[in-house]
Amino acid sequence: MIQKKSLQWIAWVLIMPVLALRGFTTIYPIVKTVLNSFFDIRILSGVNEFAGLSNYINIFKDQKVITTLKFTAIFVVVSMLFHIVFGIGLALILNMKFKGRRFLRTIVLIPWAMPSVVIGMAGKWAFNNDYGLINDFIRRFFPDFQLSWLINTGSARAAVIALDLWKDLPFFAILVLSGLQFISGDIYEAAKVDGADWFQSFFRITLPLIMRNVLTLCIPFTLWRLTSFDLVYSMTSGGPGEDTSLIAYRITMEAFTNLNVGYAAALAVLLFLVMGIFSWVNMRFMSKFEN
Amino acid sequence: MEMSSNRKYQVYKCLATVGKWILFAMVAFVILFPVYWIFISSITAPGELFKTPIDYLPDHPTLDSYKFLIENVGLLAKVGNTVIIIGVTLFVGTIICVMGAYAFARFRSKGVNLAFGFIIATMLIPEVVTARPLYEFMQKVKLFDTYPGLIILYISAIVPFTVLILKNFVGEIPVSLEEAASIDGATFVQRLFLIVLPLMKPAIATVCIINFITCLNNFFTPLYYSNGIQVLSVAIVQLPLRDNMYGVPWDLVSAMGWIILLPIILFVAIFEKQIMDGIMAGGVKA
Repeated sequence: MIQKKSLQWIAWVLIMPVLALRGFTTIYPIVKTVLNSFFDIRILSGVNEFAGLSNYINIFKDQKVITTLKFTAIFVVVSMLFHIVFGIGLALILNMKFKGRRFLRTIVLIPWAMPSVVIGMAGKWAFNNDYGLINDFIRRFFPDFQLSWLINTGSARAAVIALDLWKDLPFFAILVLSGLQFISGDIYEAAKVDGADWFQSFFRITLPLIMRNVLTLCIPFTLWRLTSFDLVYSMTSGGPGEDTSLIAYRITMEAFTNLNVGYAAALAVLLFLVMGIFSWVNMRFMSKFEN
Repeated sequence: MEMSSNRKYQVYKCLATVGKWILFAMVAFVILFPVYWIFISSITAPGELFKTPIDYLPDHPTLDSYKFLIENVGLLAKVGNTVIIIGVTLFVGTIICVMGAYAFARFRSKGVNLAFGFIIATMLIPEVVTARPLYEFMQKVKLFDTYPGLIILYISAIVPFTVLILKNFVGEIPVSLEEAASIDGATFVQRLFLIVLPLMKPAIATVCIINFITCLNNFFTPLYYSNGIQVLSVAIVQLPLRDNMYGVPWDLVSAMGWIILLPIILFVAIFEKQIMDGIMAGGVKA
């Protein structure tokens, strides 16, 4: 500690800009959102009155929101399962020793660096029945293939999840890779001498060693999925119907398009609670896992 | 006996190499082919886009879509807006984050630690939760749809990650260097500028590169906190339909998309190492 107590004021001067900026963009808006959630605020009809818990009660009567919550759950669970399985797979590929390794590690950064809206807009056209990239590729093998992906519920949902994976799975793999690199080659050599084949050394050595890392990664990746907005906004606008609408998209639509501010605030508080509970459960689980 | 086992090893090694290159080709294809498709779509004449099967080597490459964007959609103004906003964000953002990071690493007290914890914790707050009240606030203080307003929000978005990375980096610079300078009579400001800052150059480069990409990706902020000032990420979802009935002006979207992708691909290719270092250091958003 080189700084004397009397110099503490310097620290606060240096910290103040970042602290004020983050405080200004988070504390007031969150407090206001929580307050708004107890009011019936509809700008279009000029309503602004105290409503108690009615916004929260309405959530569970709103068919649109129920569909949204359903797809949000599907989206998060399915996408995360694929992230874990194929993310580890891709990480293993990125960790292979061969001449193409550096090139591969560079190009997996591209989907991460691409804006979701560009991917969403391209996806909208890529999944077009007549002129899209996906059906064009499938027709090279099955010439009679016809499917308007974004018009049917199941295929539209699959398309949204597929694009989410295209963008984020490489990033997940890079982070798994950072854990893989810490495993020393000696362990594998020793296992080889003892006669272990590839599968045995994967399931007995690699997987247990990276599992903690992978589970830790699942926390932010799940939270990002829960708050995903750009992709659905640009690709499907929640359609067909509300079948690919995600909770963050629904909140934004209520807040900025339907101008049903109180209700949007209640949904936002609900999302925040879900995120908080998820993080808490996960942290408990992690600390159990360590013991 | 010796020979045959040697032979077997050779065959095995050869197969492993082939397998590796097959996996390589699959991953490279899935990632690069869509990007290539966006590119060739952007240089195909609009009429020829409605062809099946897709022509992956356009017969009559044309820059018509780009020309249309410049002449009728105001592409250059949007590029200008994006460059101004990102440029000022990186410049001001880096300065205040370096200041904050230095203080967080070197001054320890309950209050300072709490402030750091607060800034990191705000990483988890989704923008949809704060959006509506912040939107109304920005309108009230006349910052809505202004450059300063947008820049404030852009900087705020990069603060937690930048502070986290820079703070960890300062923490690794030995305090003894500064103590020695201090004994030699260097003032606080001299120590900061002559000793700490030069050592922080690589870390600052890393956060700037990653923040450039983060800012270019930022969509929610420019979409809801401005109307007139359009940046590229918003412009791509608001392009006019030309002559097709499919609801996607793919000719213009692909051209606009490629304008956004080109700097990104160049950045990734040139700064692969810095980006990897930054990602591995943690805190980067997907």
